[in-house]
Amino acid sequence: MKRSSFYFKMVTGALLRKRSRMLVALLAIAVGATIVSGLMTIYYDIPRQLTRELRSYGANMVVTPADGTKLTYEEIETIRALLPAENTVGTAPYRYETVTLNSQPVTAAGTQMNEAAATSPYWNISGEWAADDSSIMLGSKVAQLVNAKVGQNVELEADNGAGEGVKNTYTVSGIVETGGSEENFIFMTDTALDSFMGDTDSFDTLECSISLQGDELSGLAERINSSSDRVNARLVKRVTESEGTVLTKLQALILIVTIVIIVLTMISVATTMTAVVTERRREIGLKKAIGASNREITTEFLGQGIFLGVCGGILGVVLGFLFAQYVSNSVFFRSVSFIWGLVPVTILSSVAVTAVACLIPMRSATNIDPALVLKGE
Amino acid sequence: MFFRMIRGTFTKQLGKMLLIAFTIALGASLATAMINVMMDVGNKVNAELKTYGANITVSPKGASILSDLYGVEEGTGDDEFLSEEALPKLKTIFWSYNIVDFTPYLKGRVTLDESDVMLVGTWFDHHMETPSGESLDTGMREMKTWWDIEGEWLTDDDDDECMVGIGAAQKYGIAAGDTITVNKGGSSAEYTVKAVFDTGSDEDDYIYTTLKAAQELFGRQGLISSIEVSALTTPDNELSKRAAQDPQSLSAADWETWYCTAYVSAICYQIEEAIPDCSAKAIRQVADSEGAILEKIQLLMILITALALIGSALGIMNLVAASVMERSQEIGLLKAVGAHDIQVIGLVLTEIMLTAVLGGVLGYIAGMGLAQIIGMTVFSSSIAITPVSMPLVAVLVLCVALIGSIPAIRMLVKMNPTEVLHSN
Repeated sequence: MKRSSFYFKMVTGALLRKRSRMLVALLAIAVGATIVSGLMTIYYDIPRQLTRELRSYGANMVVTPADGTKLTYEEIETIRALLPAENTVGTAPYRYETVTLNSQPVTAAGTQMNEAAATSPYWNISGEWAADDSSIMLGSKVAQLVNAKVGQNVELEADNGAGEGVKNTYTVSGIVETGGSEENFIFMTDTALDSFMGDTDSFDTLECSISLQGDELSGLAERINSSSDRVNARLVKRVTESEGTVLTKLQALILIVTIVIIVLTMISVATTMTAVVTERRREIGLKKAIGASNREITTEFLGQGIFLGVCGGILGVVLGFLFAQYVSNSVFFRSVSFIWGLVPVTILSSVAVTAVACLIPMRSATNIDPALVLKGE
Repeated sequence: MFFRMIRGTFTKQLGKMLLIAFTIALGASLATAMINVMMDVGNKVNAELKTYGANITVSPKGASILSDLYGVEEGTGDDEFLSEEALPKLKTIFWSYNIVDFTPYLKGRVTLDESDVMLVGTWFDHHMETPSGESLDTGMREMKTWWDIEGEWLTDDDDDECMVGIGAAQKYGIAAGDTITVNKGGSSAEYTVKAVFDTGSDEDDYIYTTLKAAQELFGRQGLISSIEVSALTTPDNELSKRAAQDPQSLSAADWETWYCTAYVSAICYQIEEAIPDCSAKAIRQVADSEGAILEKIQLLMILITALALIGSALGIMNLVAASVMERSQEIGLLKAVGAHDIQVIGLVLTEIMLTAVLGGVLGYIAGMGLAQIIGMTVFSSSIAITPVSMPLVAVLVLCVALIGSIPAIRMLVKMNPTEVLHSN
């Protein structure tokens, strides 16, 4: 009891008495631990964040009905229920019909505008998204063809489901520019197209943008396929395959950068600790002179190292998380989740580094002749 | 005397000085590596994002939109085409160096087993000499990295062969190795199916053959219907968005800046200048997303670099402060025998700076190596060395060493020699 309390007093006493020395060591360890915990948090969070960022490339899964049939509202909702809510960026159903605009045949697409905006964030709309059933958006090539401007009224004609000719006037709320085939379409809300055509429940595709990749995504497609033989879910290879390639590269980049920074920082923490311990040769000499054994001195120094390692490690866990949070907020506009597993990793690695750093100079320090040191080199 | 004392420090306390130099070298190498990687990461990631394929399409100016709709196309004779001869001109524009790949297409409907199917003629791995004397290999193979091919890619000499999309293959019961006959108007052609491909998009219903074979079948020698271009671009900003609307609306200075920056709108504009009667448009899906991803990655790297710089600066500062303070006895002695504060400070600073220079130089060299290791491991290409990294690292190391010495120097100046020599 007495012995252990004396040991504790020696460990803390040395640190408290020489405050500047303690600060130096603690600062070094805390910087190292901050870097370890901060970068590891970012590294673990990066795939999740980037997968979401890469959703700006648009839908990565398309669900189509079996040949010659249409998807109903009910089926769309069934499929939506199968998708993991927290990973679903958007699911836009599309109904395509041929209509006539200025006696030119054009494809009209009916969709849910808020979902379309989520699945296709790259659409460049001059004007506004069609908000209600009386407004439509024109693809830029269609607009060019009929020379239509935003705000203008246009009249659409079509043969409805019953084979009768129908006509309706709509206001152009926006012009869609994508650089792709969407520019040849007219976009309107699903309800507007349904009431125009006089029938409902006839979607041709459901575009899904889901922030999953690789096996998780193909597993999801398989689950949808096996849920009903009326639907067929396919991955959009251009997006999914490229995403895999890019993600692997970016993750490798962050990994190697993290490793380089952590290794270099840890070595420099170790050298700083070594320097701090080396300076205490006189103290070691004195202790040996009054009868301390090498073993006791080593235990004492190791105890101080571990104490500092734990303190610095805890400090680093907090500061590192704050750093990761700041990075995530400013780069991805999202917060990171605290990874509890990193707490022991950070503390153990800082304890290990300080312990090793204390033991290296200890070998030569314990071999010194006390008389020589105390006399002064 | 001064130099003898400095020499003394470096010979008698060599181990300690080397330890400090080593720590400074670690910090400096980290700073060098991170600055260089950070500066080049934009280019590297941009090149990686090319895997998403073309970001610009070039089509004839008056091309009718009808061809994309239920097969109403050509036959009327007023269809528009681009000339194949215009292709090398893509490599003559101001930003020609940024054009990584391009592929021409000639599309048309043909009859196979009495139903319509889209046939596309294109380049697969075309070798060409540009007007500037550069030789270039370009084509679909480079641009459609996500295609899943069962069999082998076509080459540009396989005029009697074709690749069939998985959708069409299932519909007509075609497998690799089969021979198909397609009809177009009066002419017909026979192709051996070399591969079946799966793309997960509309192209799955198409048949691909060489450009030459398609031109012959359609009777459109020397003509193409569109070009896909993959270009390295700078993310859009306010200026480029304004320019994309109407380049003529810019002031002369803005116009110059816009034209001489690799914005996708500027490259489109230059393509339209180079190829007569064409319309070049950005594929928003690729172009916009590229910009967004690029900006995020760059910002991420900047913040990580900042952390690494702050970390190594604190590390160096810390060690310098500690090592100067530990020398209070020696300095106390110097003061006791009559050294002025200025002399003491000069001595300490010179020693630290010499160590910092030694560590900094070693660290810079090591950091360059480290940057290349990162580049080779991740991107399999070397990182371009940013010239500004050298002065930046030099200033950083010297400032950090200097700032690290300040608290210690203040303490040394204030201390009373007798106290220091007496105690401890």
